[in-house]
Amino acid sequence: MGFAYRIEERPEEIITYRDALWRTMHDALARDPDVIIMGQGVDDHKGIFGSTTGLAETFGRERVFDVPLAEDGMTGVALGAALGGLYPIQTHIRCDFALLAINQLVNMVAKYRYMFGGRFRVPMLVRTVIGRSWGQGAQHSQSPQALFAHVPGLTVVLPSSADSILETYGTLISRRQVPVVSLEHRLLYDVAFRIPVPALEWPQAPLGSILRRRGRHVTVVATSILVLEALRAAEHLSQAAGIEVEVIDLHCASHPDREMILASVARTGRLLVADTSWCAYGVAAEICRLVCEHDPSALRAPVVTIGMAAAPCPTAKTLEDLYYPSLHRLTDEIAVLARGRAKHGVELPAEASMADVYKKFKGPF
Amino acid sequence: MTFADEREQLLYATLRIRRVEEHIARIYPDDCIQSPVHLSLGQEAVAVGTCAPLARTDMVFGTYRSHAFYLAKGGSLREMMAELFGKATGCAGGKAGSMHLTAPEVGFMGSSAVVASTIPNAVGAAFAARRRRTNAIVVGVFGDGATEEGVYHESLNFAALHRLPVLFLCENNEFAVHSPRSARQSYDITEHARSFGIAAKRCGAGFDPEVVRDAVAEAVLALRSGAGPRFIECATYRYAEHVGIGDDHQIGYRPLATCNEWRARDPLLNSRACLERFEAPIAAEIEDAVAFAEASPWPTPDALLRDVA
Repeated sequence: MGFAYRIEERPEEIITYRDALWRTMHDALARDPDVIIMGQGVDDHKGIFGSTTGLAETFGRERVFDVPLAEDGMTGVALGAALGGLYPIQTHIRCDFALLAINQLVNMVAKYRYMFGGRFRVPMLVRTVIGRSWGQGAQHSQSPQALFAHVPGLTVVLPSSADSILETYGTLISRRQVPVVSLEHRLLYDVAFRIPVPALEWPQAPLGSILRRRGRHVTVVATSILVLEALRAAEHLSQAAGIEVEVIDLHCASHPDREMILASVARTGRLLVADTSWCAYGVAAEICRLVCEHDPSALRAPVVTIGMAAAPCPTAKTLEDLYYPSLHRLTDEIAVLARGRAKHGVELPAEASMADVYKKFKGPF
Repeated sequence: MTFADEREQLLYATLRIRRVEEHIARIYPDDCIQSPVHLSLGQEAVAVGTCAPLARTDMVFGTYRSHAFYLAKGGSLREMMAELFGKATGCAGGKAGSMHLTAPEVGFMGSSAVVASTIPNAVGAAFAARRRRTNAIVVGVFGDGATEEGVYHESLNFAALHRLPVLFLCENNEFAVHSPRSARQSYDITEHARSFGIAAKRCGAGFDPEVVRDAVAEAVLALRSGAGPRFIECATYRYAEHVGIGDDHQIGYRPLATCNEWRARDPLLNSRACLERFEAPIAAEIEDAVAFAEASPWPTPDALLRDVA
């Protein structure tokens, strides 16, 4: 990325994912008159789940404005605005809607710098939200990070916590270097986080991976809300069975921290990838590729991948709960991997719907 | 170069583009140009007339058929030729070829091989220009086929809604590759643009740079005064095949008679004698550009992964 990274000094506090988003959006507008926020409903009373509420009133409707239902066109407008010197933040209240903008994102935004020989930069942030639970169904639940990360030129992040939002968005917006697609998670909005984060190792750049927990038995590389689930599983396994899980928050799907992942797998010899999307051709497959290409002999057991079932998302709760990986299953898979046998004898956490948990669980995490 | 009047200057600029493309067609069989070429032969006057009233800081977004607009906006002929040759000195360092010409230093902001895809970019640049009060205006150039794409409608709607300083310039040559407009469109392009509340007009003389210039100049004045977007549908004719250097009238998807009607009105063909004195300097400039391209180095391997993100 070519710019140094510095974690800003921030006082300790407890803040929700939603409030971290709102603060980041507010501060971006306040600091830089070239920042604009555009998206369907950004100026309404709900304000993208509370992340943009009141900003149109504060900063004016020329800078925070509603848009026609024209995802591709509006992405093209954002690109053109970036060429014209603005920093556009475009929102899609569901990731699924960003698929309508695939032409602009893949054929234009991703290529505008390279295809014209580096003559342009198109710094912009496309915020999308992964939907989950309460019958969101097949078209309100997708998590297309791999689809975007597949394309050279797009930077793809999945903030898993309030501190990820504050650090990553803050840095990206102030540096104005690259086009970024971010996948936020709807279930995280209400969760509170203690910050600064107790991360063990922050990335050298704002777009790497984050070491969230040290452990010697199994490496778990996780994305988005599954980082929280992995940390919960790790805590349980540590207390219940003395199994120590290393948790890496992949954070940036387009720029995974290869060295961090390889070093971890070299220590543990065991890798589980937990991703919010489908495993085939996705983040899980990609992390396995990294290890297989660079250090296959480090693996003392076959890799394990966990993601959504290989189907569109169903709406019935009984099916939905099967569709998504649960804490129960995640913990079980890690225990199998750590012990090397299915009958690992480790007591597992109660089988419970993750959506139910996060609707009640407000943190702080 | 000195000119007797503005018309002569416009015709010179048009002739220059014609000769450049004819030269490209001549050397293309040698494979020194390793890029598909979509020639503007027959359509040059639209580009010259459109760019004539624009300031250097005004922006133009083009299509894969952009040799003419790139040159008319002031892009370097040397850098264009080097780009076609795939050389490091090309306008995009050998990463664009013919279809993605760009010259941001003179406001030619890029061109895309995916039909209609730069139209919203032009609208966004106009949004930024107004927000930043640069007084620049933006021209989005596209063909008749682009008007069938969804993003075209999205772009016109947003530009009209926000009254942005953008000129939508439609080069209507009646064909999308080989498909006639009658097989594709249920609407009249100009009438349809008006349905967005955009002031739109037709220019039937896309062969004459002066007529096009007058139409665009009037639109530019309106745009600078903040009157909202404008639309011009410019009738024109592509002499060569869709892509490549050949003539394809023998195939029969469009009658040669129509081509001959356009040729009969083409001032470059009608005013040959008056333009004769420009031939030698243009030929010298082309020779210089080709020599520059030939002598230029290839991109080095380190360029492969440069400027990705």
